[in-house]
Amino acid sequence: MARQSGSSEEFARPLRRFFVGGLVLILFAVFVLWRIDSPRAERFRAALVDAVVPQMDWAFVPVTKTVELFEGVQSYARLQQQNQDLRRELQQMKAWKEAALQLEQENAKLLDLNKVRLDPALTVVTGQVLADSGSPFRQSILLNVGAGRDGIKDGWAVTDGLGLVGRISGVGQRSSRVLLLTDSASRVPVTIQPSGQQGMLSGDNSTLPVLEFIEEPEEVRPGDRVVSSGDGGVFPSGLLVGSVVLSRDGRLRLRLSADYERLEFLRVLRSRPAEVIGGDAALIGPLLPEAAAMMPASEDLSDG
Amino acid sequence: MAEITHAGRWTYRGVFLALAALVVFAKLLPLHPGPGRFPGPDILVLMACAWIVRRPDYLPVAMVAAVFLIADMLFMRPPGLWTALAVIGLEALRRRSFMLRDSGFLTEWLTVSAIITAMFLANTLVLAVFVVDQPGLGLTLIRLITTLLVYPIVVVLAARAIGIRKIAPGEVDRLGHRQ
Repeated sequence: MARQSGSSEEFARPLRRFFVGGLVLILFAVFVLWRIDSPRAERFRAALVDAVVPQMDWAFVPVTKTVELFEGVQSYARLQQQNQDLRRELQQMKAWKEAALQLEQENAKLLDLNKVRLDPALTVVTGQVLADSGSPFRQSILLNVGAGRDGIKDGWAVTDGLGLVGRISGVGQRSSRVLLLTDSASRVPVTIQPSGQQGMLSGDNSTLPVLEFIEEPEEVRPGDRVVSSGDGGVFPSGLLVGSVVLSRDGRLRLRLSADYERLEFLRVLRSRPAEVIGGDAALIGPLLPEAAAMMPASEDLSDG
Repeated sequence: MAEITHAGRWTYRGVFLALAALVVFAKLLPLHPGPGRFPGPDILVLMACAWIVRRPDYLPVAMVAAVFLIADMLFMRPPGLWTALAVIGLEALRRRSFMLRDSGFLTEWLTVSAIITAMFLANTLVLAVFVVDQPGLGLTLIRLITTLLVYPIVVVLAARAIGIRKIAPGEVDRLGHRQ
């Protein structure tokens, strides 16, 4: 700034200091407000992101595709190696496919015999990944489906077709935010498959989230399948999450089934809250006095 | 006559805004969503520091607040806290910019490092006091260190590509005013 025009600055300086102080106070007040009334602030944030980010979509797509193209070119260098690996994998997969087909037929037959009705309320909305969270400490992504057209709601589960990816946390009209399982705020109740142990999957900003609160950890082995348990009514039960691994620090962690390297199209599962069964006395037990008093006529008829 | 210098200053302010928008855009690109990435430097803070030390008049405090607040909102950070700390830190740097103008780059780097470290510390402390979920200490430390190490690169780029240089003693603008 012009140093020689000190006279005007002399007047401006206390005013400026006042302005800066006020600004800092307002900003801290915003932070405190966010801390006190987090849902409202987050709703405001979702609305802001909803207004800004889908506008930039036209710019996101070409840049992302270009970068992916270059990464694809780089991987051509390892083509021979990759080809061999893929052939070997394909051979294994064929064996698996055969087994899966047989199992599928068997399963269909058994289901038909049992007259089991699969949950018809579980439909999906597929969305495309719009943007990253932008911060290395927040593991979330933005999808291009929102509350407006698609009726997305908070808490719905998101998968990539194979495994669980996360849950919806924050919806706007045209976009919704997915909190990934790896975020340090993410907690999902899970079941570990063969042993049936219940546990809690909690993210810690690393690629392998931690399995916590397992009743008998000695019954859990690396390689066990982990599915969502449906406790707490947040997620539908039985969604594949991943497999157990033992990390170097001796903790049980989870290798996620969802391909976190390529999150591009994701499925949001439309789930409805489970029905609450009330009035347990009405199911089994003696007839209540007033019900008995109302039905003597019909009872006589049936007796006669 | 004053309007011409005014226009020049606003051009540089516009350049800063455009660069900030570019940084935000690059961070939001859905290239590798998910964890396991090395937490890179906080380019916005570095840019603001390099600007404030060299040309305090190109970066008014209201602009700092606006840019950082929008970044807070878009990057899912607690809104307002990092902005407030950035305003305080950058104002402290602005007050020292006359002193830093006459000293070498090492002094500048140390001063900027001290201020950014203080900002990170204050951020961690306030979040701890308000019991907000925080990333691990190790990740924050890595982010701080990369941020401090990248500062010279940002300075060189700002000087070479955009022409944000320190004002030399006795330098005059096109109209002969001392800066």
